[in-house]
Amino acid sequence: MRHYFGRKLLVYALTFVVAVTVNWMIPRFMPGDPVAGMLARTGVSQPAAVEAMRVYYTDLFGFDRPLWEQYAGFWATLLRGDFGISIWLFPTPVSTVILRAVPYTLALMIPAVLLSWWAGNRLGAYAARRRLLDNTVLPVGYVLTAMPYMWLAVLLAWGLGVVAGWFPVAGGYAFSLQPALTGEFLLSLLHHWVLPFLSLFLVALGGWAIGMRNMIIYELESDYATYLAALGAPSRLIRRYAFRNAVLPQITGLALQLGVLVAGALVTEIVFSYPGLGSLILKAIQNQDFFLLQGTFMFIVVGVLVANFVIDLVYVVVDPRTRAGMAGAQA
Amino acid sequence: MTTTPLTEGRAGTRVVRREALHFAVRNGKLVTGLGLVLVLLLTGLLGPLVLGVAAPNEYVAAPMLPPSAEHWFGTTTFGQDVFTQFVYGLRTTFAAGALGGGIAAVIAMVVGFTAGYRGGLVDEALNMLTNVVLVIPTLAVLLIINAYLGIRSVAVQALFIGLTSWPWAARAIRAQTFSLRGRDFVDLARLSGLSTPRIIAREIAPNMSSYLFMTFILLFGGSVLIASSLDFIGLGPTEGVSLGLMLQNATQWSALQLGLWWWFVPPGLAITAIVGALYVANVGLDEVFNPKLRIT
Amino acid sequence: MRKRARILVPLLAAALAAAACSGGGATPPSQGAGPPPGNPGNPGSLPRNETLYTTGTQWGPPAHFNPIREGDHATGTKGLVYETLFHYDPNTAKLVPWLAESGSWTSDTVYEAKIRSGVTWSDGKPLTAKDVAFSYGLGKIETISFHNLYDWLKSVEAVDDRTVRFTFSKANYQEWDFNLYSRVIVPEHIWAGRSEEEVLNGANDKPVGSGAYAYQSHDQDRVVYVRRDDWWGRSALGKEPRPRYIVDVATPSNEVAMGMLLQKGLDLSNNFLPGVANLVKGNFGITTFYDQPPYMLSANTAWLVPNTTRKPMDDPAFRRALAASVDTKKIVEGVYGNLVKVASPTGLLPQWDQFVDQSVVGAAGFAFDTAKARRTLADAGYRDRDGDGLVENKDGSKIKLTLIVPTGWTDWMEAARTIATSAKAAGIDVTPDFPDFNALVEKRSKGDFDLLVNNERQLSNTPWTYYDYVFQLPVNKTQNTVNFGRYENQRAWKLVQQLNQVRTDDVAGMKTVISQIQRIHLDEMPIIPLWYNGLWAQSSVATWKNWPSAAQGAPKSAPVLWRHWLELGGFETLTQIQPAGS
Repeated sequence: MRHYFGRKLLVYALTFVVAVTVNWMIPRFMPGDPVAGMLARTGVSQPAAVEAMRVYYTDLFGFDRPLWEQYAGFWATLLRGDFGISIWLFPTPVSTVILRAVPYTLALMIPAVLLSWWAGNRLGAYAARRRLLDNTVLPVGYVLTAMPYMWLAVLLAWGLGVVAGWFPVAGGYAFSLQPALTGEFLLSLLHHWVLPFLSLFLVALGGWAIGMRNMIIYELESDYATYLAALGAPSRLIRRYAFRNAVLPQITGLALQLGVLVAGALVTEIVFSYPGLGSLILKAIQNQDFFLLQGTFMFIVVGVLVANFVIDLVYVVVDPRTRAGMAGAQA
Repeated sequence: MTTTPLTEGRAGTRVVRREALHFAVRNGKLVTGLGLVLVLLLTGLLGPLVLGVAAPNEYVAAPMLPPSAEHWFGTTTFGQDVFTQFVYGLRTTFAAGALGGGIAAVIAMVVGFTAGYRGGLVDEALNMLTNVVLVIPTLAVLLIINAYLGIRSVAVQALFIGLTSWPWAARAIRAQTFSLRGRDFVDLARLSGLSTPRIIAREIAPNMSSYLFMTFILLFGGSVLIASSLDFIGLGPTEGVSLGLMLQNATQWSALQLGLWWWFVPPGLAITAIVGALYVANVGLDEVFNPKLRIT
Repeated sequence: MRKRARILVPLLAAALAAAACSGGGATPPSQGAGPPPGNPGNPGSLPRNETLYTTGTQWGPPAHFNPIREGDHATGTKGLVYETLFHYDPNTAKLVPWLAESGSWTSDTVYEAKIRSGVTWSDGKPLTAKDVAFSYGLGKIETISFHNLYDWLKSVEAVDDRTVRFTFSKANYQEWDFNLYSRVIVPEHIWAGRSEEEVLNGANDKPVGSGAYAYQSHDQDRVVYVRRDDWWGRSALGKEPRPRYIVDVATPSNEVAMGMLLQKGLDLSNNFLPGVANLVKGNFGITTFYDQPPYMLSANTAWLVPNTTRKPMDDPAFRRALAASVDTKKIVEGVYGNLVKVASPTGLLPQWDQFVDQSVVGAAGFAFDTAKARRTLADAGYRDRDGDGLVENKDGSKIKLTLIVPTGWTDWMEAARTIATSAKAAGIDVTPDFPDFNALVEKRSKGDFDLLVNNERQLSNTPWTYYDYVFQLPVNKTQNTVNFGRYENQRAWKLVQQLNQVRTDDVAGMKTVISQIQRIHLDEMPIIPLWYNGLWAQSSVATWKNWPSAAQGAPKSAPVLWRHWLELGGFETLTQIQPAGS
């Protein structure tokens, strides 16, 4: 088990280093000069003033130092939790911008991921048991899982938001409110949260349901199930064993799908103008704010790594084989 | 991508092959799925030929026309023919899927076969690489790469998708190769002095060909979805039209709010149909190759 | 597992609450803002019938409230919180006394402004001439955007508490009026202690201003202002903005903004909403200035800018042919659905119509005419030698031009495609290209392009700002704000400078100079006017009515809260609208 976690942590550490390096490297290939864009926005025309400002910002952002120094500096500031100053939202520090957005993204993603996983597994397990349910769950599941996130999101926003008027189509909470621990405010938060959550939840749900359904069918066809059945074990018991075994790959699947789920959340946020990381990334791209982009990217990487680690822990708890020292899961 | 499990291609592959065709044509899922994909593919391939040379982004009619006999899917805010765009878009989307899925499949096979067959240090190293790429949130990387490099053609888009979406497939292939490696016929091949690439190409790959094909199908579907996401947030190809770009345009120009549902609905529906049909076909294939599942 | 689902809901609520509370809500309402207007501490919901929801100015989280950083401060920082000496009314073409009750030239090079008495900052201190002198004095900092004022402004001093004297080395009357309503006045007692660095880049997150509104709170996607009931203008001007609260929503995507308008969650949307004509014509409770094309007032001119340092764009004949080749009507109808207007050949905005010399336009103006474009090309020696339908340079080499507009600017991208198509029809090979905005800015400032589209000059008090943009010399290594085409014409630039020194009340004198400049513009075509971009304003009549419109009896002020536009009528609009229920 120590070996198991040791390997895991090594992979994560390595991933982190790679991510940081990629993150640092890529802006150096970027077309266009972020300082030039910023100068254009300030609307200064005098050559002397322009030169003064260029020097000032170049120095501020550290573009004038040797590459290795910039790289080392990047690590040093990163470990201090300092992601620099946003170019687009100058003079706001990137960490401030991100910290404001992160809770929204987490509040959207964590419930959507967990609930869809849980509900999908249940649904899949039922489907595998009943022919009738199977014939409805399967096609619906396929349609859901094949849908582009943004397409469903826009349809929901239009249908339930604009046409039916049940839900707001933008923002994290009503524009008439100020954050406070009141019932009204919390309700407003939930109200704005429903649609983005729903579109994430629905698309993910389909995938899990199908995965579980197929998995259980496999398990029921496997030797141990046949053997148990031959011994005269009640089918309830066999199904329970099947479910238990089928959950394991589903947990691994969760780890595999994290990247896709993050992507889905980002796109969904954009559709609903939800003030999370997704909207931020889009703006950072549009404004070539690579400090902000680097910051959000680092945040996502760390988030995914932590989530992976949590899944590993859960796996060890659920699968006795890992505890016994056998490599149960690879990821 | 779903987490649809892949068959353990263990049961005598050769028998399966002979049976495969027999069961394939009788498998409803496979026939429906592939049929749908084929219809859409043909629409994309032949449509532009039938429609003539009209460029998809030309303004050809009055703006905002609802679907009619003349303009099957109506027109956009600018008076572009939505059906023409749809047909060309299908082409691009299939190209992105095939190319992205293909590149990913090739990388996955190279990594998977090598790691699974060689084992040892090579396996360790490749495994580590796989895990690293697996853990990094792909779309975020794609966003950054696309945003910074700003190369916006279908080919480049597909290349990046391919470069980032192979890991799960590589792991699956590695596991399969691992289980085949110890088989008698592989040992026999090795004793007869065949080189490693030849053993993989002649003995191992054919024995899991159905498996590889299904992996490709899933990668293909995944690429279509990722490509459409990239298009939607404005990181798609700058020239031409794809289903994702149509979605992006329709949204940016408020198609639904202005009642132009015929602009927004078809591309999304087509993406769903392509990817969904691929998945369904995949399950069908699974049933064809894995006799145990046919009974259900 | 079932248990987990049950715990999740409260957990989620807690997480969201934490999210919102950490999101800037913790920022206290404006400190010491006199008697608390309304009840800023009250976390309750803003009353709908007293609140104006607007969008279209701020394109991301509000980053700062520093009015000195004019390009990117939060909506309303200048105009609602901070004020200027004058406003300008484009309809009457007159300065409107604001913080100054009057101002006049006491000699050819000395201007004196009388500051109103009884104006107080939101912290209770009085606003005096010293604050004005201090604020204009900030321009001496080299990196401040209005530093070039000191090329011709010698000194500024507070003569007494209410008089400010500006002494000039050269009197640029036109430009000075522009400065009078553009430069913001900040309180010396707060800003004097700040370093240059802080003046230039500080976030100024507790703004103390003299304006009718005070900052209340902000979050990622909004800024909230609350009306100051002790604002000086109530008694001095007899005006009061009607909304008690103004919430500026960070501009969402088009379809979201449209959705919010339809849901009546937005009152005024100042962004370009394609297809909005349909909503105006339908019965959706959404209005624009005109109820028919072009629906909007005009805000600026979109030009096709040729790089005059490159062949063949250095040839006026070629530029004229290019101008005649562009099918602007197709852009106006096809791309914009008639939300914009074809520009006059001079490009002067409709508000400046009186300055267009029709005889010059009649003699030298251009219009879309493919045949004429072909003729002009042929006459000048550009012929199609290899029979591909496209003309070659005089020396026989191929002409291949690239037209760049920023990627993601969908309307411009469509417009660029149309320009390229119609140029090809006339035999000029133009290909559209869509680099990232920053890449484009870099190319633009270095002069590394063939053709681009630009519209970075707004309506102002004088056509001088327009011609300053077109002809300014000298051409520097980097051109950041004006004359991107690097066009050099000493005579034209002399005339523009001469125009600057015509008194602003001497309309005839202005016309004489402008007519000469126009002649040069149309003969030389350094920059090709295409269409007038709209003063985008879509308003919902659900909560507020009496929006500015062309209808009789309706206010005529500019219905936008864009930066610099609050002084051009945007603020007036706020005082004119009425609650829908009244």
